[in-house]
Amino acid sequence: MEILQVIILGLCLGFVYALMVSGLTLIFGVMRIVNLAHPILIISGAFVSYWLFILFGLDPILSVPAAALTVALLGVLLYKLIFEKNAAQQTYSEMTVLLTFGTAMVIDGLLAFLFHNTQRTASPAYATDAIFIGDIFIPLAQLYSGMVSLGIIVVLALFLKYSEFGIAIRATSQNRTSAELVGVNVKFVCLISFAIGCALAGSAGSLVSFVFSFFPSRHWEWIAILMSLVVLGGMGSLTGAVIGALVLSVVSSLVGAFYSPAWSTMVFFLALFLILIIRPRGLFGIRTD
Amino acid sequence: MKIKKLLLTAFTLFFSFSLYAANTIKIGASMPLTGMFAVPGSKHLEGYKMCVDMINQNGGWLGKKVVLLGIDNRSDTETAISQYERFINVDKVDLVFGTFSSKLTFPTSTILAKYNYTLPIPSGGALRIYRRGFKNLFYFQSNPAEYYGKQLLGVVQDRASAEDQPKTVALVHADDFFANSIANGLLGNKVKLPGSGKLVEDMAPGYIAQAGMKLVYHEQWPEEGFSDWLTLANSIKNSGAEMVIGMMASPEEAVQLTRALKTVRHNPKHLMLTQGTQSEFLEGLGDATEGIMIYSAWHEKAPFNGTLAGKRMNNSDFVAKYKAMNGKLPDEDVAITFALCQGIDQAVNATRSVDNDRIMAWLHTRSSRNPVKTILGDYYWDATGLPINKQALIVQWQGRELKFIYPTNEFQASPIVSPKPAW
Repeated sequence: MEILQVIILGLCLGFVYALMVSGLTLIFGVMRIVNLAHPILIISGAFVSYWLFILFGLDPILSVPAAALTVALLGVLLYKLIFEKNAAQQTYSEMTVLLTFGTAMVIDGLLAFLFHNTQRTASPAYATDAIFIGDIFIPLAQLYSGMVSLGIIVVLALFLKYSEFGIAIRATSQNRTSAELVGVNVKFVCLISFAIGCALAGSAGSLVSFVFSFFPSRHWEWIAILMSLVVLGGMGSLTGAVIGALVLSVVSSLVGAFYSPAWSTMVFFLALFLILIIRPRGLFGIRTD
Repeated sequence: MKIKKLLLTAFTLFFSFSLYAANTIKIGASMPLTGMFAVPGSKHLEGYKMCVDMINQNGGWLGKKVVLLGIDNRSDTETAISQYERFINVDKVDLVFGTFSSKLTFPTSTILAKYNYTLPIPSGGALRIYRRGFKNLFYFQSNPAEYYGKQLLGVVQDRASAEDQPKTVALVHADDFFANSIANGLLGNKVKLPGSGKLVEDMAPGYIAQAGMKLVYHEQWPEEGFSDWLTLANSIKNSGAEMVIGMMASPEEAVQLTRALKTVRHNPKHLMLTQGTQSEFLEGLGDATEGIMIYSAWHEKAPFNGTLAGKRMNNSDFVAKYKAMNGKLPDEDVAITFALCQGIDQAVNATRSVDNDRIMAWLHTRSSRNPVKTILGDYYWDATGLPINKQALIVQWQGRELKFIYPTNEFQASPIVSPKPAW
């Protein structure tokens, strides 16, 4: 029974991780931007929901669209200011590591200046509630955030698969030059994809605001974890990122429960090392050589 | 002509800067303003700034303005070390103030001992810091972390009724220098110096064993990046522990652990934490804070008398001043560094100097009859830098307020809420 409980907890957390990482993998897939600023964008979204909750009592789940829109607009601004003009550079992908790292530091500093490095947690009534079914409990905060994450991911997947613009995004992701040749406006696709990736970060931030405590510099802790999820799933693969998030989250919970919590975080880093050694393109990544 | 003007301007600027530098006393403080200790680190700096501002409003030190160089070490050991070296070698600071946490204090204290700088320590309670023969350390809290267990269990033994006495205890803590030190005392481990392995103190049999309690669960979580609090809380629940002791250096972890215990509906008779006096703890938990006991260095009602810039600055004055400035009560983390700054202010004014040797000598000669007087109470230290006869306080959240409950011989203690109300 205990193992079932641990798996449920791991899955609930896994869906939140999946949403956190989906924007990151989308942005990499389409634009080859290794977006180290993604976690601080998640924190930005968390701040939007937190303040809407504190000032107007708006439930963080209901403020997902507001957080998504705010961070998407921030993303458009960042893209126009930083990434667009460098897209033609040969070392663009490598450059983005430094550019996004610097961006993360600047946003971190701005948020700390505006809101201080004080920890925040939105506390809707269900944040510490749970459904009990016999000996098993399902925490409502994790359940709701997991369900919303799943919903957003499904909508994203359907959008990418069936909409015309989604097909353009996938085409750009698979082969930028060919997409251009068949008439895809690659520049516009990149801009919108970056905005969508940022909107996903904002949405994840909304859910994070009541699942975890957060403060501006918390994002440094998440970079490595999110990177390990992307690498495990395969850089640029949405399916891979979701499966990577679920698998690692469950394994991490199992390690925490049956071995020691001291080693549970290690699971993410161990996975990162192993996948880079054994299968560098990740579980669902496409071979590029 | 242009070159002449340029040279003249440069000379004037240089001269003005030199004059300004000569008329200031500089203090360096490397603080964790980002990273895992960002919350208490920022509040520590707030306490330093408030105190230095008040000193300057009263004419500064020795007729000179006091300049505080407070910079962010990102909660990183290497950065903190290099910043203190920079303070000394590049900025040529006159004095330094200590940083937050045992983790950062342990290595930086080595550097400051090498340069013979007085190191007043606001937060760095691990015994290992003080048992290396350094003469420059002065701790501005209470007894070292390894001894915390005596009060963590003492409050329950002395103040809870017979039926509320716990028989079993779960011990969970961050894998952190400070939290591990408290655990060493509770578990009766041997405390050794990192690197040399030299025995500092044997804590056997440990406070839990001495109290006749049974340890039913003991676990650590990693220092950074841990998020699976519900699984940990579920394991604690499965242990059936009647008392849960959670030890951490970050208030964020205190919120997360408590929220998880509430979510899994584990209702121990007593929940004791080493962080959680901050307003963020109340904000994150609301009414769920009721009955939680916290180890603290300070309380708003403590009737401690102190001075600053030669004038009265009692704890009540500090609280009133802070409330007038910020519209809210100060946190323990602000009060601690304010008290430390009061201590150094008294040393500078008494010695009429910022010479580190003279300040150290003066601080070492404090005694019960002639202590440093701060808003945290009176301070005088043993040769290692640990305060003598300085008890920490145990406070408890009651009706969304922090009430002082232990030890009862310090000042008027409030009634205790026992057992902790069910979630």
